[in-house]
Amino acid sequence: APYKALEAVTVDLSAFPACNFFRVEALIRPWRLSTVVAKLNASGIRGMTVSDVKGAGVQGGRKERYAGTEFGGSSDQFLVEKARMDVVVTRGQVDTVVRIVATAAHTGQIGDGKIFVHPVADIIRIRTGETGPLAERMEGGMEDMTGIKGV
Amino acid sequence: MAMVPCPSQRLSLSSSIKSAAPHQICVSRPSRAPRRPAHLAVTAAAAAPQASKALDRFSAFDRVSVLSEALPYLQRFRGKTIVIKYGGAAMKDESLKARVVSDLVLLSCVGIHPVMVHGGGPEINSWLNKLGIEAQFKNGLRVTDAATMDVVEMVLGGRVNKSLVSLIQQSGGAAVGLCGKDSDIIRARQMVEKDIGFVGEVTSVNPSLLQTLVADGYIPVVASVASDGKGQGLNVNADTAAGEIAASLRAEKLILMTDVPGVMRDKDDPSTKFAALTIRECKELEDQGIIAGGMIPKVDCCIRSLSQGVSATHIIDGRQPHSLLMELLTDEGIGTMICERPL
Repeated sequence: APYKALEAVTVDLSAFPACNFFRVEALIRPWRLSTVVAKLNASGIRGMTVSDVKGAGVQGGRKERYAGTEFGGSSDQFLVEKARMDVVVTRGQVDTVVRIVATAAHTGQIGDGKIFVHPVADIIRIRTGETGPLAERMEGGMEDMTGIKGV
Repeated sequence: MAMVPCPSQRLSLSSSIKSAAPHQICVSRPSRAPRRPAHLAVTAAAAAPQASKALDRFSAFDRVSVLSEALPYLQRFRGKTIVIKYGGAAMKDESLKARVVSDLVLLSCVGIHPVMVHGGGPEINSWLNKLGIEAQFKNGLRVTDAATMDVVEMVLGGRVNKSLVSLIQQSGGAAVGLCGKDSDIIRARQMVEKDIGFVGEVTSVNPSLLQTLVADGYIPVVASVASDGKGQGLNVNADTAAGEIAASLRAEKLILMTDVPGVMRDKDDPSTKFAALTIRECKELEDQGIIAGGMIPKVDCCIRSLSQGVSATHIIDGRQPHSLLMELLTDEGIGTMICERPL
């Protein structure tokens, strides 16, 4: 079962040695969102953005099932509803966040989703004008709870 | 009584119900239930015919207390859709059949929306026999040639479906019998690769007719015959059909009625039954070979509909009287619940 692999996944950030922040973009099944949010929240991830999107991910003609119907074959049944979640975290927290999202979204069926990790140059909190690590850090969040820093 | 073939699970509730009259369902009612019944007074009315000699030793207060204890469950599932796959022993035994039907009507009376999906293998076999057609199976699946398909469609859509509808009507529910061809509820493609004739894999489900019926308080009863879009009927597995219909309705629950107590660690020992499993635990048990044989397609069917957004799936023992209510309205349940988060 891929659960063990997901729990031990490590993200290769070596292409961006100087980058302090990364955006973890997860495309998942919409009804898994509440589980994923709850798990992230429990680990102190308190900042995230979620949007409704549609997408396709067709491998070798195999079809994804959504609402009892096969998707991915013909052009009229191609795009499937997904939820997109964006979380910006510090370098050292990327692995933890990816593992939490991946295990919480996993069902083992085609269409479980994908996770992309993007570099982020800087962060600005609009209310206070803070930038960088100060703006990224959430009081009572993952750094306070677990000590995982990374910057 | 012979109607409880499984001696293993003599729970206190079932033993008190066992002596209830088997034909309680035929008790005449002053009038048929209203189309949108959703208040508790109706609950009491629906439960009343259950009161037989065995229940006489309970005082009126006892009975009312038990009813009021069900309130949190009724509230939790009110307005939710529950897809029930009906089959196996519960389908053959008349008294079990009557109980399933009365459970269904009770659920519908308290504002829960049941949708019934059924197969009917034994009934098909007996009609094939009468017509002198030999039933053939290949890897557990029925080889369905054109003549067999005609019989399958007639028996499932005509006889089995309509007898369930009329039983529900008799016990005061409002049932509408359909097969997958009606309004293209189930569209399928022929599984040519398996070379077993007109057996289909579900390609799409159109839930709009079911949603209309459910919203108006009807109980849809769907036979697992699908259309291929070109006029050919296809025989689809009733578990799969139920799972996909549950997914299309974004149902709260999918309940598969089977002839076993549930998923068990040792398949011969009902005391090793799992009350609840997650998808992950199911996969691990499959890898260990504990979930094996005929249980694999059932569990996979559950996982398939869970991954499409059904909140919980249940594999229950259809041989137990009132297994539906036991699973829905008690904490212990009667079978195995598979869902994402454990209880």
